Amino acid sequence: MRVDIKSLGTFNQLAHEGAEQATRSMSQMTGIGAKVDVTKITLVGREDIGEQLIGDDYVGVRFDFEGELTGETVLVFDRAGSETIIESLVPGGAADEAMAQSSVEEIGNIMMSGFIDGWADYLEATIEHSPPEYVEGNATDMVPLVEDGSDRDQVFLFKSEIEWVGESVSFYIYMLPEYGSMTDLMTRHADTESDAIPIDKLEVFNEMTKDGTQRAADNVEMMTGIETEAEVSRISFAPIEDVPKQIGSDTYVGTVVEFTGVPSGFLLVLFDEESAVHVAEGMMPVEMESSGLTDQHKAAIEELGNIMTSGFVDGWANVLQTSVDHTPPRLVHDMGQSIMDPLAAQVGQHQEHAFIIDSKMRTDDIEFGAEIHALPNEKELREALDELLVERADQTEADVEQIF
Amino acid sequence: MVLDMPDVLIADDSEFMRNLLREILEEDHNIVGEVENGVEAVETYKEENPDLVMMDIVMPIRDGIEATDEIKTDNPDANVIMCTSVGQEEKMKEAVKAGADGYITKPFQKPSVMEAIEDVVPS
Repeated sequence: MRVDIKSLGTFNQLAHEGAEQATRSMSQMTGIGAKVDVTKITLVGREDIGEQLIGDDYVGVRFDFEGELTGETVLVFDRAGSETIIESLVPGGAADEAMAQSSVEEIGNIMMSGFIDGWADYLEATIEHSPPEYVEGNATDMVPLVEDGSDRDQVFLFKSEIEWVGESVSFYIYMLPEYGSMTDLMTRHADTESDAIPIDKLEVFNEMTKDGTQRAADNVEMMTGIETEAEVSRISFAPIEDVPKQIGSDTYVGTVVEFTGVPSGFLLVLFDEESAVHVAEGMMPVEMESSGLTDQHKAAIEELGNIMTSGFVDGWANVLQTSVDHTPPRLVHDMGQSIMDPLAAQVGQHQEHAFIIDSKMRTDDIEFGAEIHALPNEKELREALDELLVERADQTEADVEQIF
Repeated sequence: MVLDMPDVLIADDSEFMRNLLREILEEDHNIVGEVENGVEAVETYKEENPDLVMMDIVMPIRDGIEATDEIKTDNPDANVIMCTSVGQEEKMKEAVKAGADGYITKPFQKPSVMEAIEDVVPS
């Protein structure tokens, strides 16, 4: 089963335009200016669908839809943002629980009808949706594990992130089509085989990436003594110009390498500043006196980035029975978006959309956040997937002793 | 310098890793040079003729496999252990082809480094 890049681009555009329609509806009703920041299609493990929503309190509405496409969609506001919206609709309404819930349901209904109708119009078919169901809570309350009757671990997720103009408030639209329904749709709309991606192999590649993340996490643990686990691994598809926005405006310290071979592209290992200091100090044989990020910290991060990069890409090379070379790591210390901008521009010389491979790791011991982002060239990723033998997917490690 | 200790050249573009290797090795080895790329590794090897080279693979200007190839072509008796983060089978085979005598993957701990050295340069 294959899907061509053009169709993926069309589906992404549909979701984006649907999110824009929903956002316009909200702005008309509330007077609040907002814009759709990023829309992407992600292949992700079921348990990681609501990962971005962990830790905060949200409200929203959920719909089931069925027809040419079947699944579930959720509109998610953070609680403070929802109260602003309710107050703009019904002054004083946020204090009245029933009124607040009814307001969220209604605005959600109007917004999401526009979102779903856009898909139906494109597909020239009817898509029915259920009445809105009010939901509140955190990640798993808002975006529960999708039950689609299949035993697949990974699902397609369409996600749009919408920002209020001039505010640091976001809301999200999640669309979770049933896997079979989505792949049927993709197959029906594939208009060329020449640039088609095998969907099943994309899933296998995602699993290999998860292994790579765990190896990178193991390397962190071995070098720092900090117990570290791979947390999330996913492959997303988005217009190239939206790629830098996904990294956001937080400041990171880390490394960038360019890798060559099949696949080729760029790989970033990024730590938030506080984590960078913690991790670097974990690597030092003696305790550091400085509380900030010194040249010694940066040298340690540079080497850790190098080792994590290898841990991440070596599995691809071993499974594909090829070599993936990479440049020495270049230390970066900047806003995430600024780090990614020139890399996306370089990749964008040859393609309009990009696959982005994102992984995160965490630790229970200390405040720690590390992310790995790979931006492969689409053509070589396609070649790599074509050459990938699924039965070799677990052969990610090489045996040094067998060779030496 | 203690005369009966083996001479070691460390080639790694990471200052952090050079320091770490020096700390691991200096108790039992003479560190005769620390260099940052494959060109410097070959030059320093020719000048110092050490008993052992600890050679990174991913380095700027010239990588460690090319440097190993030149060192071993000039002196087949040279001892070179690749000391790298790269864990790819194809890369290990390239290292063998270039003449590498051992291969350690980062991150490593002192016992594994000492064991690899003992295999190549028995005390």
